[in-house]
Amino acid sequence: MPTHIASSESEIVEAVMTAREWKSPLEIMGAGTKQTFGRAVVTMGSVLDVSGLRGILSYEPNELILTAAPGTPVVEIEMALAEKGQRLGFDPPDWGPLLGADAGLGTIGGAISTDANGPARVRCGAVRDQLLGFRGVNGFGEAFKAGGKVVKNVTGFDIPKLVCGSMGTLCVLTEVTLRVFPKPPLSTVLSVRDLAPEDGFALLRKVWSSPLDATGLAYSHGRVLIRLEGEKEPLAEKCSMLGALLGGRSADEVPEGEIAFRAIGSGEVFADTPYDVWRAFVPPASAAAVAAEIDAPLWLGDWAGGLLWLGTLPGSDGVRAAVNRAGGHATLLRASEEIRERLAVFEPQSAVRMALIKNVKAAFDPLGLFNPGRMWPEL
Amino acid sequence: MLTDAHVDISPSDPDILAHGADIVSALRAIVPDGVVSDAAGLAAFDGDALTAYRQKPLVTVLPRDAEQVAAILSYASEHGVPVVPRGAGTSLSGGALPRADGILLALTRMNRIREIDLENRCVVAEPGVTNLAITRAVERHGFYYAPDPSSQIACTIGGNVAENSGGLHCLKYGLTTNNLLGVEFILMTGERLRLGGKAPGAGGLDLLGVVCGSEGLLGVTVEATVRILPKPPATRTLLAAFSSVPDAGQCVADIIAAGIVPAAMEFMDRRCIEAVEAHSAPGYPACEGVLIIDADGIAVEVDDAIARIGDIARRNGAEVREAKDEAERGKLWAGRKAAFPAMGRLAPDMLCMDGTIPRHQLPAVLARMAEMSKEYRLGFCNVFHAGDGNLHPLIIFDVMNPGELDRAEAFGADILKLCVEVGGVLTGEHGVGVEKRDLMPTMFTEADLAQQQRLKCAFDGGGLLNPGKVFPTLSACVEGGHMHVKDGRVPFPNLPRF
Repeated sequence: MPTHIASSESEIVEAVMTAREWKSPLEIMGAGTKQTFGRAVVTMGSVLDVSGLRGILSYEPNELILTAAPGTPVVEIEMALAEKGQRLGFDPPDWGPLLGADAGLGTIGGAISTDANGPARVRCGAVRDQLLGFRGVNGFGEAFKAGGKVVKNVTGFDIPKLVCGSMGTLCVLTEVTLRVFPKPPLSTVLSVRDLAPEDGFALLRKVWSSPLDATGLAYSHGRVLIRLEGEKEPLAEKCSMLGALLGGRSADEVPEGEIAFRAIGSGEVFADTPYDVWRAFVPPASAAAVAAEIDAPLWLGDWAGGLLWLGTLPGSDGVRAAVNRAGGHATLLRASEEIRERLAVFEPQSAVRMALIKNVKAAFDPLGLFNPGRMWPEL
Repeated sequence: MLTDAHVDISPSDPDILAHGADIVSALRAIVPDGVVSDAAGLAAFDGDALTAYRQKPLVTVLPRDAEQVAAILSYASEHGVPVVPRGAGTSLSGGALPRADGILLALTRMNRIREIDLENRCVVAEPGVTNLAITRAVERHGFYYAPDPSSQIACTIGGNVAENSGGLHCLKYGLTTNNLLGVEFILMTGERLRLGGKAPGAGGLDLLGVVCGSEGLLGVTVEATVRILPKPPATRTLLAAFSSVPDAGQCVADIIAAGIVPAAMEFMDRRCIEAVEAHSAPGYPACEGVLIIDADGIAVEVDDAIARIGDIARRNGAEVREAKDEAERGKLWAGRKAAFPAMGRLAPDMLCMDGTIPRHQLPAVLARMAEMSKEYRLGFCNVFHAGDGNLHPLIIFDVMNPGELDRAEAFGADILKLCVEVGGVLTGEHGVGVEKRDLMPTMFTEADLAQQQRLKCAFDGGGLLNPGKVFPTLSACVEGGHMHVKDGRVPFPNLPRF
């Protein structure tokens, strides 16, 4: 497939204008680490490689705001923030290895477009809560902006939220502005062992409903993992307050706690398995019941139960039905192309919703040039 | 409206006015006990908290449930009648300003809390439930709802969703959009859909994200599911008194730079302090400006933050004192929340601006506003959410003095233009409404606005929901290059705006 390389907004405008002229769709690609997430794009057109739009454009630590080109690797942004004692609140996970790519290459534009949120989302919010504004090129070939570069803004429609998780189907991002957060100087990960799922998730919800502000609340293989953060004394106090919530059980400090949470976010445990990998989003209180019903050979829970990672036998059905019954929705993050096509990667939509979604798509990209079919066949 | 010349804010379609009686009886058939159409009754619905603008609606309808809302919208859609949704009518930007040729859809009778789900930390409420009622419903369980606009005793959750309302504590806890999990939503066609819910994430495109803050232009919220938070075990409040406003601005910058996220950080200037003292005597010192700063969390964390904030404030020349008990805390905050009514007693009329600026621009912007006040020969006072750079200058004027309203609006427009110039935005939490509609082009290009207007069309192709708000210019919805044509004619030929 031919590839256009665009490394500026004006080159993207040009590429889109050409695509319009020939009614020839574009598969938008950054580092390409998540290209197998989503349905296969209808590939009659060309690849638009935007990885050259790269670099931090402005970073004001005192404003807690960072603006970057979307092709900037997440690790580059994380390093710049860490130097100033700050971080990204949505805790972007590295799904590269899980999806068959190398680690450490994923871009900020990719994290935004795939709504990739890590364990700290349970406390710090999702990328949609932190993308303050962006510039992009729509399917009319117009460069436009939405949102702003301040933390509090209600001027005009909140299009930045719509762009998060839109899988590149609405516009090509050319600049993104994110709210960032101070990073507490210390963190501790504690684990409680030998808990059945029901008890493990109940404990996680208890901590989640407490003022401990835990930034990690996960369950895996009979073990609960809790990440607490703060200055030295407050952190010590939080650890002892946690003790009071454990109901007589004891908690052990996990030596490589940060690594443990990174592994949970990236779905590392599923990487070298043959399983289909689902991310199921459920009301936290129904996590144990949904996990029991699906009975996946490999699974874990995050976000106090709000997120279940499920590794299921290739092609096995039934995940989405169980999740829907509990009032949740599921995304098939990894599977073969054939299975993704058959089981649907994204939640199938009601007729009313799909009609609205198609209208929204047309408002940005009426000719259907951007990543056609990536989310749903009709989009 | 903040513009150089007054324009007609409520043009009306004579065809619709001619059919007023039919519309009223159709609505009566849908909501037999909730239609107001007499002049005296309609006077109660002639505007919102942007008091400079008054306009009675053609008719007000007060549905009791979602079915009735759907029936009303579907009727209005079929007959081409504009609809203005309304909660408690506390909008400061004219978001709920009625139209002479439109139905005012007041949602205040849908005021039940449907579910309190502590296990999933959320509350499911009808749109007419007040913001404060949500906290009241869960506080005995140790929870609260974080966004707290100053009007929280009256404003409704449906209105909060429409306006993406903020409040004093959104520096740490976010605006409505960050605390909203799901809605049931009705499109102008009467079609109902659920967006979001108790599970995290959107499950596709984040339509909930764009519905929140859409100022009633995309659809009508008939149910909202919101996140509740565990009440912090400790809260301490500092009052820092400054002898110069720039010192206060520097103090704010230093606190943020130190990595501290206070639960709230509010500024009031001398004029505002005096007004509030005269109104409710919360005990603010006489000085050029005060910062009221809350730190919350677990006790040790709060102690640590308060100590550091106190040091930073003193380094910036402030006299610092702490509220000694819950009663004094309550008084300090009640004073702040009453700033608007307190100023209202001193001035016949007020305009409240709402721009947000990058925090480091505070000193420069404050200085420039003081100069503008002289140029326009109008007094103003400064209240703002200092932590997030969201300014609320209150411009004082008397509408009875010829020319003062125009001067006040021009002054307000200049303030907002200044906010945009220094990298900020027109509105941080009050919304665009009718008030800032004509200033949108100072922040957005034609392409930016066209993109937003097309999104409006995706939800409401006939342009019937809250027309005349947010967008400055006429833009008919087009599809594939053609106008929407219904029943063989272009819809609403007399409607010069959305």
